[in-house]
Amino acid sequence: MTNLIWLKGGACSGNTMSFLNAEQPTVIELVTDFGIRILYHPSIGLEIGEQVKEVLNDALSGRVSVDVFVFEGTVIQGADGTGNMNYFADRPMKDWVNDMARVANYVVAIGDCATWGGIVAVPPNPTESTGVQFHKRDKGGYLGKDFVTKSGLPVINIPGCPAHPDWMTQILVAIATGRMHEVLLDDFHRPKTFFTDFVQTGCPNVSSFNNKIEGAFGKRGGCLFYEVGCRGPMTHASCNRILWNRTSSKTRANHPCLGCTEPGFPHHDLEKGSIFKTMKYLGFLPKETPEGESKLSFYFKRGYNKLLSNPGENDLSSK
Amino acid sequence: MANVLWLQGGACSGNTMSFLNAEEPTVIELIVDFGINILWHPTIGLEIGKQVSDLMNDCISGKTQLDIFVFEGTVVEGPNGTGDMNLFAERPMKDWVKELSEAAQYVVAIGDCATWGGIPAVPPNPSESTGMQFHKKNKGGYLGGGFVSKGGLPVINIPGCPAHPDWITQILVAISTGRIGDVLIDDYHRPKTFFTDFVQTGCPNVRSFAEKIDGHFGKRGGCLFYEVGCRGPMTHASCNRILWNRQSSKTRVNHPCLGCTEPGFPHHDLKKGSVFKTLKYLGFLPQDVPTGESKLGYYFKAGIGKLMPSDKSIKATSK
Amino acid sequence: MALKELNISPVGRVEGDLDVKVYMENGVVTRAHTQAAMFRGFEKILAGKDPQAGLIVTPRACGICGGSHLYCASSALDVAWKTTLPPNALLMRSIGQAAETSQSIPRWFYAIFATDMANKKFANKPLYQEVVKRFAAYVGTSFQKGVTASGRPVEVYALFGGQWPHSSYMIPGGVMCAPTLKDITRAHAIMNQFRNDWLEPIWLGCSIERYMQIKSWDDMMAWLEENESHRNSDLGLFLRAGLEFGLDKFGQGVGKFLAWGTYLHKDMYNKPTIEGRNPATISPSGFWDGKKYYDADQKLVSEDVKHAWYENQTDGLHPFDEPIPTTSTDIKNLHNVNVGDKYSWAKSPRFMGHAAETGPLARVIMAANPANKEHQFRDPLFGDIMEKLGPSVFTRVLSRMHEAPRLYMMMNEWLSQVRLDDEFYIKPTERDGIGWGATEAARGALAHWIKIKNGVIENYQIVAPTTFNVGPNDKDGNPGPIESALEGTEIEDPHDPVEVGMVARSFDSCLVCTVHAHDNKTGKQLAKFKL
Repeated sequence: MTNLIWLKGGACSGNTMSFLNAEQPTVIELVTDFGIRILYHPSIGLEIGEQVKEVLNDALSGRVSVDVFVFEGTVIQGADGTGNMNYFADRPMKDWVNDMARVANYVVAIGDCATWGGIVAVPPNPTESTGVQFHKRDKGGYLGKDFVTKSGLPVINIPGCPAHPDWMTQILVAIATGRMHEVLLDDFHRPKTFFTDFVQTGCPNVSSFNNKIEGAFGKRGGCLFYEVGCRGPMTHASCNRILWNRTSSKTRANHPCLGCTEPGFPHHDLEKGSIFKTMKYLGFLPKETPEGESKLSFYFKRGYNKLLSNPGENDLSSK
Repeated sequence: MANVLWLQGGACSGNTMSFLNAEEPTVIELIVDFGINILWHPTIGLEIGKQVSDLMNDCISGKTQLDIFVFEGTVVEGPNGTGDMNLFAERPMKDWVKELSEAAQYVVAIGDCATWGGIPAVPPNPSESTGMQFHKKNKGGYLGGGFVSKGGLPVINIPGCPAHPDWITQILVAISTGRIGDVLIDDYHRPKTFFTDFVQTGCPNVRSFAEKIDGHFGKRGGCLFYEVGCRGPMTHASCNRILWNRQSSKTRVNHPCLGCTEPGFPHHDLKKGSVFKTLKYLGFLPQDVPTGESKLGYYFKAGIGKLMPSDKSIKATSK
Repeated sequence: MALKELNISPVGRVEGDLDVKVYMENGVVTRAHTQAAMFRGFEKILAGKDPQAGLIVTPRACGICGGSHLYCASSALDVAWKTTLPPNALLMRSIGQAAETSQSIPRWFYAIFATDMANKKFANKPLYQEVVKRFAAYVGTSFQKGVTASGRPVEVYALFGGQWPHSSYMIPGGVMCAPTLKDITRAHAIMNQFRNDWLEPIWLGCSIERYMQIKSWDDMMAWLEENESHRNSDLGLFLRAGLEFGLDKFGQGVGKFLAWGTYLHKDMYNKPTIEGRNPATISPSGFWDGKKYYDADQKLVSEDVKHAWYENQTDGLHPFDEPIPTTSTDIKNLHNVNVGDKYSWAKSPRFMGHAAETGPLARVIMAANPANKEHQFRDPLFGDIMEKLGPSVFTRVLSRMHEAPRLYMMMNEWLSQVRLDDEFYIKPTERDGIGWGATEAARGALAHWIKIKNGVIENYQIVAPTTFNVGPNDKDGNPGPIESALEGTEIEDPHDPVEVGMVARSFDSCLVCTVHAHDNKTGKQLAKFKL
């Protein structure tokens, strides 16, 4: 039996909705087959009012053990560090987070808001929001960079806006089946098994990327990196390997990757010209180049392939 | 309501098994929701013996309207052009095929055997097998290059060994929702909506392909084109766009594409050195290069990619 | 009579966090105050940003209605940028909106609402055992099927939008995707699965076609008694148990309803304007004051802030005139708050000065408007039910579920209208200007107002359905719809005030986006009794 408490701070519930889409296993199978016991969840918990406080206080006092504490949404510290912009069960939510993180075996931050602040923390950051253990790219966040849970692990970050249901359920299954020692974390505390690939890995348009064939909205085929700001080549996530809703992914539906599993999303803080447009140097060279490439070599290779590519069958698309 | 008759010639039933895996819609939904009326099918039909020949004769005479005739397996013409190697309902199957094809609105050949002969037609072709309207790459086959069915289309080829269930179910749905006009077919009579992409389209290893990072059996990452004979870049099919069994594809599990949706499969007629090995010129240049590229242009580009590799993060893999 | 004050924090199982303070006499609620207890400040984040930032940010205002926010955000930019929308784009957007709402129907019913019917409060009722068997959380037989089936419609959304939640595929000028034949045929098939896995066998117990013949409450009752399959379907059980448990006896609300309508007709909104929008809706818009229908003119919306934690604005402003919010500093939790002063992060939106309920009940009331046009829904059922039963928790739930069969039919129709050879997107020219976009999120009327100046967002205002429903008292002290609906409710066990939960959940409250940019979360704990 694995006890789980899920709380939400500055959140849109998108990660919860995504979680409910889970298929293998479903949320119900997590409960009935994998022994995940959901002590509380704000959207699907049965408790109300005082009953919720009893559950939370039992967890804090140690009367009930908490194996996994999942937090969704930012930690709201406003106004002026008080946290009173987000009350929950009579206290600032941030106080519950602090206390709960210390009694849980594993702390999982789910979604960009909880991992590094996400949209809610975009300047002017009206709620003084931060992530559980990161603020944008900087380690620290609300709990501080040295925080580790009872199990010895820091906060496990499952980013994404929202996170893919598999990223969450597979980690929960790993905990329930005693495989946590195989979960490796990267520098941003993301489980490597999901965040080593790039969004580009498995994207249908990589040949177009290699040959610099540009895509555009409302048309079939072509790579969205060059004009509409796709971040697939520099974003770590398995979106095109483990599909969304069993069927698709943003880039499969001609939707540029927004880079939502990387700290810093929304990138460039939504500044003018950064939305669905590739930011350019000198008016034509992409300002950001794929991860792992020097700018010069990237420009060289793409220019070269463009010149050499045979505008033959690779461009074809069909209804 | 569309009446479908499905027969099998020189077949392994693999396409039927694949068809039964269909999910969206399932075979049952095709029948109950999309008005597909399966008059008879060798694996799942209810009739027996004379009932079957009566039913076929009713189709041929026009007493029963035959909307779609699906044929799986090769047309067996041996020995010596008699067709006696494949008797069905007391006649050579090839004779049923001819008469039913002439009676049907649309004729669908499913799987490589029915489309262009496939494995049974590999030399020495002991059963004198051929495809419905192609023999390997050559138009003609059993029904002849000029054949068109009553609906005005030649044989619709759904190749693959086996065909993906969606490729057949979506065509049946297209017919039943009145979208047959949206079904465009290519030079090999394949519906373009499935066979415009390459197997490489959506393969997780396309960046490795561009950078010439070799993959191998039993390891994670790298492109299988260079050493183990993957045909993903020259094979038209949507295997990495519409996944198999909802989950995966050959190249996603490090299995080289065999090119089974192209006429000519098994390629090079299984000759020595052609199985799970990349055939080379001069010992190092791939003999088959991606579709749409000149050999020289391709060698040049791959060489550049190899000389100017991205840094190691692009090649990272994780358990 | 003993006056008791009961502070419920959190209510839970509404999206976002809602706290409620009720005053009771003899166990009956005499006055209620709702508190949205979290602020996220999205409007502040959007100001000064790229004009298209709303396409990315506003779906994340609410992960439950993200597609609806996207529908509004893209429509508002269409108006501001004077785009041309090809028919395919309007169809793709309608399909996305309908997919999201179809998803929400079983997910909300089983995961959010019906588990309360398995509460021990109803243990002495004859149908209780059957209700528990089917609707109990996680283990209920229908709970499992319904929640699992709820993932199907959004697979269709993913085919065209890439993923659900949080796609941004609707953009000014159309949609990003150019689907192929195989996407369309698969979408038909997925919707069929939704029908086969849940809608017909589990929920209706009959065909969609049979259900659609129901035009009045008497028809509904006759349908129920027609055979065992109808009686024993989840709808049949809900009808019988809902009446047996008395769900038709509480949660009335303000009796005035607002819908913006949605599903812009593919051939009637190709040149988007504010004025041209309402007539182009397929699910009709309108305001109904209990007697008469009025046009839902966006100009008649205003927001009061007397009881909301904002400082720099006066009451009664139209969203175009509202400033970027400045928050109060004197924020108190539910327990300590003075309800005579500011007590929530939600503003109080009003239409023609009235508090108005939004949501599926409002939509089906608008569908019963005899003046509806040929291209619009024309369905008299809830006109009749409002006359015979009036609003209640029961009526609200029934109206929500009533939409599932129709949306199934509409999605199939729209899919069949997509022309694969035609355009899906026409690139617009960016310009400064003002725009308004609206839709019906699953839980009600949602609208965005945008002002673009010097190529960046000058002001962005969102009025969400739950803002209408859950907002606090207005400047004149009139309660919001949920506050009003709680009045008269009997609370049997103050430690387990499930009745309050049922009322709030019958509105499918979504605090997350309610608080337009401000979300609410609050927390207060239980019961302090003033005797």
